[in-house]
Amino acid sequence: MTTTVATARGGALAGTRGLVRLVLRADRWRIVIWAVAVAWLTVVSVRALDDLYASDTSRAARAELIASPAATALAGPGYGLDDYTIGAMTANELALWIMLPVGIMAVLAVTRHLRAPEEDGRLELVRSQPVGSAAPVVAGLVAAALAVLAVGTLTFVGLLATSLDPAGSALMCASVVVVALVLAGASAVASQLSAHARTASSLGMAAIGVAFLLRAVGDVRGPRSTSVWTWLSPFGWSQATAPYTEDRWWPLLVGVAATAVSVALAFALAGRRDLGTGLLAERPGREHGRIRGVVGLTWRRQRTAIWSWGAAVVLSGALVGVLAAQIADFVADQPSLEDLFPGGVGGATAAAFALYSVFLAVLAFAYVTTAVGAARHEETSGRAETLLALPVSRARWLGSQLALAGAAAVVMLLVAGLVMGLTAAASLDDPSQVRTLVGAAAVTIPGVLVVLGVAVLLLGVAPRAFAAVWAYVAYVGVMAMFGDLLPDGADAASPFTYLPALPAEPMTWTPVVGCTVVGLVLVLVGTQGFRRRDLQG
Amino acid sequence: MTDAITAAGLVKTFGPKRALDGFDLRVATGEVHGFLGPNGAGKSTTIRVLLGLLRADGGEVSLLGGGPWRDAVALHRRLAYVPGDVTLWPTLSGGESIDLLGRLRGGIDPARRADLVDRFELDTKVKGRAYSKGNRQKVALVAALAADVELLLMDEPTSGLDPLMEALFQEVVREAAADGRTVLLSSHILAEVEALAQRVTIIRAGKAVLSGSLEELRSLTRTTVTVGLRDADGAVRTLGTTTGVHDPRRDDGHVTFDVDTDALDAVLAALPAFGVSSLVAHPPTLEDLFLRQYGEELAEIKAAR
Repeated sequence: MTTTVATARGGALAGTRGLVRLVLRADRWRIVIWAVAVAWLTVVSVRALDDLYASDTSRAARAELIASPAATALAGPGYGLDDYTIGAMTANELALWIMLPVGIMAVLAVTRHLRAPEEDGRLELVRSQPVGSAAPVVAGLVAAALAVLAVGTLTFVGLLATSLDPAGSALMCASVVVVALVLAGASAVASQLSAHARTASSLGMAAIGVAFLLRAVGDVRGPRSTSVWTWLSPFGWSQATAPYTEDRWWPLLVGVAATAVSVALAFALAGRRDLGTGLLAERPGREHGRIRGVVGLTWRRQRTAIWSWGAAVVLSGALVGVLAAQIADFVADQPSLEDLFPGGVGGATAAAFALYSVFLAVLAFAYVTTAVGAARHEETSGRAETLLALPVSRARWLGSQLALAGAAAVVMLLVAGLVMGLTAAASLDDPSQVRTLVGAAAVTIPGVLVVLGVAVLLLGVAPRAFAAVWAYVAYVGVMAMFGDLLPDGADAASPFTYLPALPAEPMTWTPVVGCTVVGLVLVLVGTQGFRRRDLQG
Repeated sequence: MTDAITAAGLVKTFGPKRALDGFDLRVATGEVHGFLGPNGAGKSTTIRVLLGLLRADGGEVSLLGGGPWRDAVALHRRLAYVPGDVTLWPTLSGGESIDLLGRLRGGIDPARRADLVDRFELDTKVKGRAYSKGNRQKVALVAALAADVELLLMDEPTSGLDPLMEALFQEVVREAAADGRTVLLSSHILAEVEALAQRVTIIRAGKAVLSGSLEELRSLTRTTVTVGLRDADGAVRTLGTTTGVHDPRRDDGHVTFDVDTDALDAVLAALPAFGVSSLVAHPPTLEDLFLRQYGEELAEIKAAR
């Protein structure tokens, strides 16, 4: 038989083709959904920019605004600001927000196919076939790469239907693909370090966070990729291509080289270790436990996630506070900008703080979603069955986990608001910022309840569709960023459409109470649904 | 004697599939009740209904005098459950898991815990994710058996245990029964149920197909007899026409046949005429019962083809 001969010759790579097919079959819908969602959102956003910034003057004003440090930290290196075409705008402001989700997709795809099957033992069965040690690594990477390529290609095809230069679009999409490949490579290495998929994907996510921060610092310190910091980040490499303006392909070589190195490292590590082990050693645990209840158990299970998400939220708050003085200086230097904001310099910083508070809140939403997702995972893994066979009611089981998740998110936001306030007070020399910014963070808390409510509703009523919570969180994030670019009413389901944007807007209690009530009702309905339905093993 | 568990006409559907299809079960207080059936027959579904984790679509079910769905929490104080496929918290050690489960139940007897850990030779410092299947099973067994409860629900509890540990398992279940606890033991390992259970229920395709004490069930079936005879041919001819004797077959000087319990007398009285040189008889094993139940099904399937 020909296949027997071929696999026998393949050595470490034997069986790769079959595994790739298996992985693609498992992921086909996921890939399609990602590609369509990313391409559609990109095209809609570009068209909206096209409509909104039709005149030269409006584009020039936008360029001035986006050159501020605070905006740069969340945008890009600022190529083409002197002639801010829609292309330059797309590359500078939108590209990063395409790279980020596609990068997350790549990291999760790699750990899902590289580490998770090994951890749960599926790979043992696969490897007992004529399949080499490197084949699963290749299969996971090839699948991630194909997913990334599908997203990039479809986005490129979509952009052909806009006014943008096809050559520039090709370069931008290639830049997205390359940064995602670098992150996939990093994730492949992380998957060799830890024996656990969760730890591996956390390492991958941490890599994304560090890369994002490095390029934010770099772009603020030196525009047009002139800072060393920018060149330490894969996002920096991919943004240095400057599509639609400089149009250079060579920075992508850095990314390709980095991918090659990390993939080679992953192969080398995979070839050296035993199946099911990681390079980070496992420490023995306690002989006797101290955990008393479901809250204690959840804290034990979630504490790493809580600390990491908390650190991300609080550090982002600190970054905003530190940059506050630069925002103020920048607006003060630009008389034309001062007219844009009702309150002059103060109004401009207030608008920036309001936007950043929402950004912090969306991070907290993502944490809450992972926390409720962890409860769902307890159920599908069968561990919920073990606990619910004890004298533990379903309301207690779920309620304990929700209470901890909600409390952690609230604490994260308040601490982030406090840190943002303290740093802003220092950099602006204005002690009143502490109170103002704690308030700005606090007013997003009803949003936490709404997201918690949506998550619990799905868990209780439609548990198999639980992943849809992520679509809701992404929707809220997109509406907060680009809601004003989209048709009216598109943002009707986002809590930020109603909550006052403190400190840029005055405080109003009605929406705060309204969102709280909606959130609580959703939580109650979801909990009731969970109490009434069968447990799903 | 009261019943710890009664179920009548239990129905549970998952989409088009009827996992339980009018299932009946009666477990008397204080007995070890064997619950037999192949994979997918509905054993785990039944136990999950008894635990209030699944809600029955039809039928009556009562557990320790309460409704398993309605009174779940109160009933769970009085029972312990060992799943067939134990999943533990990956970052918790076995000891931490045992203590957590014990505390959620409202306390654990440290002496009993230590004794069980010792006897099962369980290393409690190992993290959940590093345990083998058998060791995860031991964690669940220690947690359940250390609990002071009236009823033990065990869903294929010995899967993954080695023969020594299986023997130990039988020992501790006997101790539990001696303490007056009721045990529902689901299994497809017939020897285990035969060694422990006073009564059994056999489930097939969501229905109870056979239920009763081992004695009763055995009397329903046939004893296998192998006799060494000087006139084997004559014996085969005679036995072939005797009512209650099935499938007599010759093997050198031996004749083997199956005989209905109520025909034993007559057959044993007839045998000396053919010159008995040796005799081996064994009662029907549960295996025979089991195979007979499922053998019919196989025959039906074959006939349908």
